Amino acid sequence: MSSVPKIHHRLGILFKRELFGLLVSPITYLVFTLFFFFRAFEVQTLIESFAGGGSPSRFAYYFLASPSTQFAVVVIPPILTMRLLAEEKRSGSLELLMTAPVRDWEVVVAKWGATWLLFALLWVPSFLQILVLMRPGYLGASLPMGQLFAGYLGLFLVGSLLLAVGLFTSSLTENVLLASLTSLLAGLGLLVVPPMLAEKLGGSSFSQLSVDSSIGQTLLAQFQVVRHLGSWFFRGLIDTGQLVFYASTTALFLFLTVRSLESRKWR
Amino acid sequence: MTKDYGSFRAVDDLSFQVKDGEVVGFLGPNGAGKTTTIRVLTGFHPASSGTVRINGYDVVQDSLLVRSTLGYLPEQIPLYGDLRVQEYLSYRAGLKGLGGKERRREVEAVMEAAGVTEMRRRLCSQVSRGYRQRVGLADALLGSPKLLVLDEPTSGLDPNQRRKVRDLVRSLKEQHTILFSSHILSDVEDVCDRILLIHRGKLRAAGTLDELNLELGGEELRFRVEAQSQEVAALMQELLPGVEGSLDEEKGWTRASYRIPPHASVDSEALSLTLGKAFFQKGRPLSELWIHRPSLEETFFALTQDREVAP
Repeated sequence: MSSVPKIHHRLGILFKRELFGLLVSPITYLVFTLFFFFRAFEVQTLIESFAGGGSPSRFAYYFLASPSTQFAVVVIPPILTMRLLAEEKRSGSLELLMTAPVRDWEVVVAKWGATWLLFALLWVPSFLQILVLMRPGYLGASLPMGQLFAGYLGLFLVGSLLLAVGLFTSSLTENVLLASLTSLLAGLGLLVVPPMLAEKLGGSSFSQLSVDSSIGQTLLAQFQVVRHLGSWFFRGLIDTGQLVFYASTTALFLFLTVRSLESRKWR
Repeated sequence: MTKDYGSFRAVDDLSFQVKDGEVVGFLGPNGAGKTTTIRVLTGFHPASSGTVRINGYDVVQDSLLVRSTLGYLPEQIPLYGDLRVQEYLSYRAGLKGLGGKERRREVEAVMEAAGVTEMRRRLCSQVSRGYRQRVGLADALLGSPKLLVLDEPTSGLDPNQRRKVRDLVRSLKEQHTILFSSHILSDVEDVCDRILLIHRGKLRAAGTLDELNLELGGEELRFRVEAQSQEVAALMQELLPGVEGSLDEEKGWTRASYRIPPHASVDSEALSLTLGKAFFQKGRPLSELWIHRPSLEETFFALTQDREVAP
């Protein structure tokens, strides 16, 4: 036996291992339970406030943009990803993993893929809720599926970026807590800082920022994650520019993770 | 090869060969560069300069190929605590490219070989240190790689467990080439055909145990005779010219010890016979006479005792 295994075989094995690891971790269940718990209350309140009638599109919007969604997007990716590389580095299992016939990027992609699938699973119950809500006796009205689809797409895209960020911070340290806090801050920063900056720049001081203000503004506009979700995806609008943004930033952070793993080789 | 970590040179221009089917002991004090060397061999860290080839493949250029023909047991064996022993081995078998029936068969075979079959349903986080070592060894054996690299496989084990691991390694001699790193001398002495001794990143000695002993320590002639020390010294000056021995006189008896210099082409057996005859002719009875060969431990100490001076 001296042939190198096929790439899809290796990715499959790595992916299954990571998914299993996530599924037997109590932390996963804790977070999921918290999320479902809050979401249940939210949906309850939402149904009551729409009981007197209201547009299904508005219902769908508030269904997507609820506080538990924000919790899920900001808090869950750091928690899912924090252990993935930091723990392997701390325990030394990274050495066994990297001396098996697998490439660094395969490990990174498999780990990210497993967290992404779990993140996607998080929304399955909410989708089931929609199906139930449309039955007579609940909302009784049909909800705009296109808009909901766009909303979920937006959540998955933002999730994939923040999961990649989380994996990257996990690769930087052997300390699981540090990894999760760093990626939590990075995620919050991504959501909070661009709108604040935009407001600052959009105000009176903006005119004083001479040459690169337009470049800065263009760039800044790209990073308006909250606006992407609120004004576009949750309203059922899909902008290919935003798709490209999330795909490329996710790829960037996965690439940085691979480089960070490889950095053991030149230190 | 040479390996630097920043400004620290962990391995300094080290060069060695391991032949097919050999069991080579990789010996050195803690911090000598054993693990660093092994990490270069396994492709985990690249060498700063120099090349390493395994089975004819460069460990950097053909990294995946090399890794798939190499079984590695790291010093710390970090098993995934959430997997059962069998699941863990099955996962590792999958990573090494085994699939389907072959994978199941291999897992069974290595569990049997390493003696962990009865632990198969245990969680990896709950197996003892000794079994951990064996699960690691079972992992290294998956896919029957030609080369096994074992980093301190006996450290941290109790004497019984060490013996079992040694027996296991010895039983693997037939099918595998083995590089066995250790600072536990008796293990190396017991298992290995040939020894590489490294110290502060440099190869200090290489050869079989006997060769090492001869090369480094030389033999020592020790005896006790009923004679004055001057008389003994005079006679020894004839037999071993130029060699200063240590003499200790007590109640008319002299205890003597003479180191036979290495490469002196002195046959120690013949010398002891001549010595015995000479004292007998003088009417001086010998009460003790033996040729002391330095143990690996003494050799090890002699070669590595400057380590405290290291910066």
